[in-house]
Amino acid sequence: MERSRRQRPNPSSSSSSSTRSQSYRRFPSNPTQNSKSPSTNRDAPGLAKPRRAGQEDRDVDDPSNRPLLVGTCPFMCPAGERAQRERLRDLAVFERLDGNPRKTSSDLAVKKFCRTISIRDVQASDMRPLPVLEDTLDYLLSLSDSTEYPFQVVHDFIFDRTRSIRQDLSMQNIVNDKAIYMYEKMVKFHVISLHKLRSCSSDPNISSVHYLNMEQLAKALTSLFNLYDANRCSDSIYENEAEFHSFYVLLHLGSNSQPTGESLSLWFRHVPIPIIKSKEMCFARRILRFFRIGNYKRFLLSAAAEASYLQYCIIEPYISEVRALALSCINNGGYKLHPYPLAHLCKLLMMKESDLVSFCNACGLETNTDEAGNKLLPTKQTTFCCPKGGFQSCSFSGLQPLER
Amino acid sequence: MEEAYRRITEYLNRFSDAVSSQDGASLSSLLSLSSNHPFLLSLADSLILFQDASRVFKQSERFSQYSEIITHLFRSLQNYRLGNLVDAYQAFEKSANAFIQEFRNWESASAWALEALYVLAYEIRVLAERADRELTSNGKAPEKLKAAGSFLMKVFGVLAGKGPKRVGALYVTCQLFKVYFKLGTVHLCRSVIRSIETARIFDFEEFPKRDKVTYMYYTGRLEVFNENFPSADHKLSYALMHCNPRREANIRMILKYLIPVKLSMGILPKDWLLEKYNLVEYRDVVQALKRGDLRLLRHALQEHEDRFLRSGVYLVLEKLELQVYQRLVKKIYIIQKQKDPTKAHQVKLEVIVKALKWLEMDMDVDEVECIMAILIYKNLVKGYFAHKSKVVVLSKQDPFPKLNGKPIES
Repeated sequence: MERSRRQRPNPSSSSSSSTRSQSYRRFPSNPTQNSKSPSTNRDAPGLAKPRRAGQEDRDVDDPSNRPLLVGTCPFMCPAGERAQRERLRDLAVFERLDGNPRKTSSDLAVKKFCRTISIRDVQASDMRPLPVLEDTLDYLLSLSDSTEYPFQVVHDFIFDRTRSIRQDLSMQNIVNDKAIYMYEKMVKFHVISLHKLRSCSSDPNISSVHYLNMEQLAKALTSLFNLYDANRCSDSIYENEAEFHSFYVLLHLGSNSQPTGESLSLWFRHVPIPIIKSKEMCFARRILRFFRIGNYKRFLLSAAAEASYLQYCIIEPYISEVRALALSCINNGGYKLHPYPLAHLCKLLMMKESDLVSFCNACGLETNTDEAGNKLLPTKQTTFCCPKGGFQSCSFSGLQPLER
Repeated sequence: MEEAYRRITEYLNRFSDAVSSQDGASLSSLLSLSSNHPFLLSLADSLILFQDASRVFKQSERFSQYSEIITHLFRSLQNYRLGNLVDAYQAFEKSANAFIQEFRNWESASAWALEALYVLAYEIRVLAERADRELTSNGKAPEKLKAAGSFLMKVFGVLAGKGPKRVGALYVTCQLFKVYFKLGTVHLCRSVIRSIETARIFDFEEFPKRDKVTYMYYTGRLEVFNENFPSADHKLSYALMHCNPRREANIRMILKYLIPVKLSMGILPKDWLLEKYNLVEYRDVVQALKRGDLRLLRHALQEHEDRFLRSGVYLVLEKLELQVYQRLVKKIYIIQKQKDPTKAHQVKLEVIVKALKWLEMDMDVDEVECIMAILIYKNLVKGYFAHKSKVVVLSKQDPFPKLNGKPIES
């Protein structure tokens, strides 16, 4: 696979170009065939050791002292596990042959994530080598658009099975380019799930599903950043690196959001300059600024105009939060004798009028209509409150649906 | 060869004497590898020459008790001298581990060996940093600093208990902070902070002043990163107040973080302070706040972007924008008051738009209304805005409340 890299833009004339010392870890690139590990790796056992918070798979032993494990399992699921789960009738719907809960096949069964596995107990025959992992991942992601089952079922399956893939990658210490591409795809899955799970509000468990998704998203993203760092050479950055960094910023939009347990300010210290100055990061930082200041107009405008689909998936819940803030501010500071025209508010908040009326009501605010038939929002109402169950997502009106 | 033998024996004697006479200072000097003291350097040369220093041990009973500590220490010293930092670190860690075992047994009535322990803690961090640099330059994963962190946690555990050794825990904590900050794994500080601040184990006042200052500096910084301003103010101010006034470099470091905190609470430093401690990167920010000059704020943030990002205060400074807007509107109000006091409290949004245009900030009436709404909401401006007339009506009394040491309400 061609690896396209983005060259670093010309350094700005800023005086502080040398103040940020980068502590890159540079390794010889791992060969694409992972059947034999390069000899240098034996001296550097801790290759994939994450230096940041949100360490992936803490259930696996510290990598520094183990011999290199290379998997030999040719199937998506080791034969032994397949047989066992057939016996125990522990097959996910996607794994069932003709819907039979007791039968699967090598084309359908995918290795499950195992929390309690220890490196000492692992056999090479249970481990899937890199090419198998790649194919497995592609297969899993091909299921994500399946309409046969509710998204939550799809999500659960892919969630678990991709976690197992990450476990296999980690235990075999696969940290090359290919790992990067796989992690990018998996992070993408979790990001899109953020959006799709929001429409699954019927399930009472949805908030814990959502929480777990966010947790894995943060872990996978952090691991991905470590992989970028470990594979870095010279000042070039990977094609998607800037966008994935922007996700991290956007995940910190909420007032107390610290999905990885570290503050954003701390994280910025170690981000390479070419990424900081990238288009995607500048967008994310701008949006963050608007959010923190409370500039609802620019926040909504920028989000609508500039966010990519994936960025939108992360920003989405904050759109409602910002709209609620706008209502709160207008209700709080608007002149009592000048009820705010909804027609104008629609434009400001980028909503259809009917949605806006519902939204106002959800926030405990009443609207009324004047003699000319214009809808208005009276101010200084005392009943404002944030809806208890969170917000139903309302997309941006008047805009093309965002492409994936 | 004779000379080498003599030097080695001298070291062994000094070590043994220091322990038996409980002379912490002497023992410390025997452990500080990175000090590059001529005595240690010539000892290192002797060791390299002598090849097998263990012969010397075997000659006397006195030294056998410390043979493990010293054997590894010697190897570390040798490697250090030869520039093999990774090996130097590894040997030092083994020596330090052996030292800890002995330390536990030594007289605990007085904490005489604490000073030596401090040196150990310092050395292990510094050697680890250098070892990691060597690893990185050889294309390998830097992992020694992380190991040093684990070791220091162990030392912390040894000190966290009853007895006079307890006062050493804060020093070790500060070394840990330095390690975690460097590694970026700051969340690992939490468990030590919790231990220190639990009154059951430690009495904060017992600790040496120097360590308290360092501790408050680091924990204050953490509060800045998490934007807990009142707490950050308290800790960093403590550090500032108790810091030796002659340690200007340290004062500068504290101020670097305290100033953005104070700015967020509406307290501006005097220019002479910025000048004296070479913190001129804040000058334009302060000016922008004084003048209500949004362009200047944005410019200052851009010019020093890398520096502010690296120290972790960028986001804090960015948020000062609201106070800059407040100041701008206040200035307009003051000018209007001079022209016509009866109408001054009504500020047309168009006027604000114009003022911003002069500052090369392109904002339309809607955005200005939005900003005004936010300022009112956060109590930076008292009054209301009338959408239809596109005007802000300010309260006749105290329309621009000062922050007075309180951060803006969220």
